[in-house]
Amino acid sequence: MDSHRRTTVSEAPPEGQSFPGGAGIVGNQLNGLKPPAMEAEAFHNASERILSAINTVIDGKAEAAKLALTVLLAQGHLLLEDVPGVGKTLLAKTLARTIDCSVSRIQFTPDLLPSDVTGVSIYNQASRLFEFRPGAVFANIVIGDEINRASAKTQSALLECMEEHQVTVDGDSYKLDEPFMVVATQNPIEMEGTYPLPEAQRDRFMARISMGYPDKDSEIEMLETHQATSPLTRVTAVVTSADVAAMIATVQRVYVSQAVKEYTVSIGRATRESAMLRLGASPRSMLQLLRAAKATAALEGRDFVLPDDVVSVAESVLAHRIILDRKAASTGETPHSVVRSILAKLPVPQEMSTPSRGGGQRSGPDLRHTR
Amino acid sequence: MTLTPQRHSGADAGRTPEVLAPSPAPAARSRRVGAQPWVMAAAVAMSVAGAALTLNGVLRGWAWYLPVLTTVFVVALAMAVLRSLRAQPFVVALGGFASLVFILTFTFFRRDSIAGFIPSEDTMAQLGRYLRRASETVLAESSPVAPNAGIVLVTCAVLGLVVILVDALAVPLALPATSGLGLLAILVVPAMVKPQSVGLWGFAAAAAGYLMMLACSQWFAPDNRTTADTARNPGQFRRAALTGGMALVITLLLPLAVPGFDQGTFPQGSRLNPWGSATGLNPMISLGNSLRSPSGDGRITYASSASRPQYLRSVTVDRFDGESWSPDDREASRRVGVGRMDVGYEILADEQVRQVTAINTGRFTSPYLPVPYAPDAVNGLDGRWSWDPATLSIKGVDTNSRNQQYVVQSTAPRLTSELLAESSAPVRGISEEFIRPPNNVPDIVRSTTDTVTEGSRTAYAKAMAIQNYLRSVEFTYSLQSPVQGGYDGNGLSVLADFLTQKSGYCIHFASAMAVMARLEGIPSRIAVGYAPGRSTGATVSVPGQGALPEYEVDSRDAHAWPELYFQGLGWVAFEPTPSRGVVPDYASQAATPGGASTNENNDDLIPSNAATPGATPGATPVPLPGLDSSSGAQNAQRLPLYGAAGILLLALLAASPRMVRAGLRSRRLRGSPSAGGNPAAAAWAELRDLATDYGLAPGVSETPRHFSGRLRDSGALGGPDGADDAGTRAVASLTADFERQQYGRPAGSPESAAMGGQPAAAGASVASSADRIVRVQASLRRHSRLVQRLRAEWLPPSVMNRWGLIASAPFRAVSRAAAKLGQAAARSWRTVRDGLRRLRKG
Repeated sequence: MDSHRRTTVSEAPPEGQSFPGGAGIVGNQLNGLKPPAMEAEAFHNASERILSAINTVIDGKAEAAKLALTVLLAQGHLLLEDVPGVGKTLLAKTLARTIDCSVSRIQFTPDLLPSDVTGVSIYNQASRLFEFRPGAVFANIVIGDEINRASAKTQSALLECMEEHQVTVDGDSYKLDEPFMVVATQNPIEMEGTYPLPEAQRDRFMARISMGYPDKDSEIEMLETHQATSPLTRVTAVVTSADVAAMIATVQRVYVSQAVKEYTVSIGRATRESAMLRLGASPRSMLQLLRAAKATAALEGRDFVLPDDVVSVAESVLAHRIILDRKAASTGETPHSVVRSILAKLPVPQEMSTPSRGGGQRSGPDLRHTR
Repeated sequence: MTLTPQRHSGADAGRTPEVLAPSPAPAARSRRVGAQPWVMAAAVAMSVAGAALTLNGVLRGWAWYLPVLTTVFVVALAMAVLRSLRAQPFVVALGGFASLVFILTFTFFRRDSIAGFIPSEDTMAQLGRYLRRASETVLAESSPVAPNAGIVLVTCAVLGLVVILVDALAVPLALPATSGLGLLAILVVPAMVKPQSVGLWGFAAAAAGYLMMLACSQWFAPDNRTTADTARNPGQFRRAALTGGMALVITLLLPLAVPGFDQGTFPQGSRLNPWGSATGLNPMISLGNSLRSPSGDGRITYASSASRPQYLRSVTVDRFDGESWSPDDREASRRVGVGRMDVGYEILADEQVRQVTAINTGRFTSPYLPVPYAPDAVNGLDGRWSWDPATLSIKGVDTNSRNQQYVVQSTAPRLTSELLAESSAPVRGISEEFIRPPNNVPDIVRSTTDTVTEGSRTAYAKAMAIQNYLRSVEFTYSLQSPVQGGYDGNGLSVLADFLTQKSGYCIHFASAMAVMARLEGIPSRIAVGYAPGRSTGATVSVPGQGALPEYEVDSRDAHAWPELYFQGLGWVAFEPTPSRGVVPDYASQAATPGGASTNENNDDLIPSNAATPGATPGATPVPLPGLDSSSGAQNAQRLPLYGAAGILLLALLAASPRMVRAGLRSRRLRGSPSAGGNPAAAAWAELRDLATDYGLAPGVSETPRHFSGRLRDSGALGGPDGADDAGTRAVASLTADFERQQYGRPAGSPESAAMGGQPAAAGASVASSADRIVRVQASLRRHSRLVQRLRAEWLPPSVMNRWGLIASAPFRAVSRAAAKLGQAAARSWRTVRDGLRRLRKG
């Protein structure tokens, strides 16, 4: 039975097969010391390589690819939600393939058990000891396919790993490798017999992307390229996991000014005060919003965050966390439109823009201590 | 390469039709189409036509309104057609002018033009005649004037121009709120001329049209503050309702605090006249307004050697024909120079009294000079004055009565009732126009005259009978009842009303007596001027006369009285108005037999004669005031000086937005500490204001990068083909600098050089921020249209908006407070309601 379920962990590159060996427990070479940040040039090259590799596989979805990379670099988790057959799983697999790191895939089904995800302690007859056999979550990139098909118990086992970056089995905690990213896919229709993610768990995902249908040209091209073989097979790793770790370190060093922090916070406050929302964005989501913005800034080749970076990711980061008021929902508003209208009204902090206004005068010195 | 110029011109030619296209543009262009120009034109036409309703009391009747209506609507329609064809704003305005000319020609000169609507030489000649007629009407007639073709033509032309002006302000200049000025210009006319000010209906129609215009202007001049709302947001309606409600409340409350608002919906300009006593169109009609004025304006002081305070006479009215009476200036027979005047008739009285009166007119402004009757010489005046030998009214040739100080020598026979009673000789030696009885005298006037003068034989007896009749208790003095009764003004029909209602003020009494006297064959005229007034208690030293007692009069003393001619005695003033003025001795003595019936309740108005101790009537000629020539020269110098100062002030006012803007710019570009001491941020602020000036205002919720991108893509810096690389690059590098400064790592931090982006900053430092701003400005100026450029330079929106913000701060505070109050009221009402429900249930 165990082996039967193990088959759900499939299609993993060679590294994936090292799980049974238990190497994951000590895979902490990246955690101890902070890896050195990358040079701007190298960062740019690496991100370009990843994106172009993804784009050779998935046609016309550069935006989604970039957002996925942003989430990876911001150390978040990604929720892909769309109708079947638009390339959710393909995107997740391609992203994993382009990076030379361990990947595992879990096909969520109603009978999947938590221990299949996290791992289990097994009594070793030879050594007469309980030995920990790591689950599918012990990988750099974990693809959770159709996450809403598993039971709530199994879902929450995965979600604990996502938040803590560690697994606790029988009282022992095992650190997960860095980088660690969960890419979960979810099907919004055919909800029969599924366990939709509760709000609290959706909050764990940094961003939710809807792939959407490709445009006409991309679709025609897709028909051509995917005819004979899956282009996925041609994808090879373009960066190492050490590179990714260095990139993540670079992102962490991106500078955030006081003005941008204030802007981010004011977005969160605006969602909480909005009459159209029953539930606004949590403080954790603000943290994730800013991290995603930092990653966006780094991908743009900047070492500081602009309000534009916050705006560009705000919809993807916030829309799946807020809950519409019933009245607003009945007038045809969607979470996306609400986030958009909030952004359209919120003033962007631009000191000195209007000298006649009293508050406009404070500037530079206030920003010194920020980081 | 040699093809480049051709290609360039080809591109231009390809682009021009798109802008100038007189036919509907390709559907690809999603610029405004459809009903908007039409609705806007309807709004403008409605507001102007509505405001024109208020002219009803200025022009008599409604016959003039149809041409006005056609003119206004044709001009608005023409402009709407041009606008819907996407003509340039300048072309639209030109089209408006052309349509105005056509419709005016069609309405007024159909027979004297080419094809019925194209002006020709004949039209011009006819136009001159019409304009002369209009100016005569304005000068001679009193409101409401009969709507003759001349005055209707002028009205139509002016209203057509107002349509063009309002439209130009609302649409191409994008100053919809300011377009109210055009409507205000129309409303001011009735406010100044009509005693009952602007009517409710006209005001409401003008206001409704104006509001509609403001609503439509959203299409042409969208406001960032309102467009950020989503379409579903109900805030827009609520805001509109709140604004409208506030305006209504203010309109209702404000009149209580402002003097001059005591009826109607608009200040009564005739009472708020800041330029002293108004001349109006006609002294006869402004008299009523002067008398109704709550505060005494146009104060005149005079010191006289006469034993009693004097009547001061400005002008006479002697033609009693026609719908309304007005002074006849007899321009042809006037003589210039008032140093020596002559009454022009023989005076046979034994004793003549010579008097010297020194008058200071202060702020009283009128073409006519108030003098005691009958003046021999007037000295010390500024400017040129002329006098009419027939009436001795003195009128300025090129000046008016404001700030005049002069000394009048006057002579009058010492009159007694005996002397008057003896004067029975037939009238000789005066103009026929003082004798001829008016045509079409209403029956009631004639029958009343016959009844009153029955049994009186001499002219004096008849005059006294008429005066006593008018002073009897039957008549009451009232300033308001003629207004309420609808017979305010003058004319024979008014006179008939007056004799029926038996209530009115001096003008009615005086004209009644004058007309009745003429019907009895006594030459008569109405004198308009001032009743004697009050003693100030002060004395004035007049050269050659010593100290003379001083009196004062103001607009409340404005008066009219009849003058009747007696052969051998000249023109003699009577006083038929009860409770006003002073009844002369000669006119009251004969009244003693019937004294019980007279209404002599004018004690308060009779000045105390005790204040005339040293009055010595003497024949000594008064020497000219010593300072005469030099003070005149001084005044003459001062006038242009004031004019220059006024023009300078106006110019300064007009240029002040530009100056403020330039000052702000130079302060920012110099990097002075008041701008924050930060060149990148200062340059950014300047860039934002520049864009605002050229109609690309940054939104509050717009990020710097987005704004910069919009500015570069908008074509304001040159379109894709005529791209201005320098300007675009300057904007990009200014944005990069500002972003780095505003959001980047503070300079001097150890990590500042960690990552990329530095090359941009290095490139940017090649040109200073000031240079780049100058480059952007030059580019914006080069690629904007004339109207926009002028607006950006003379009325920069960045400055005007800021001023508007400052000016509207109190209103916003009030509206915030009102909103809070409303919420609190709603809350407490809910609490009370819930409590009541609970009570009922419990």
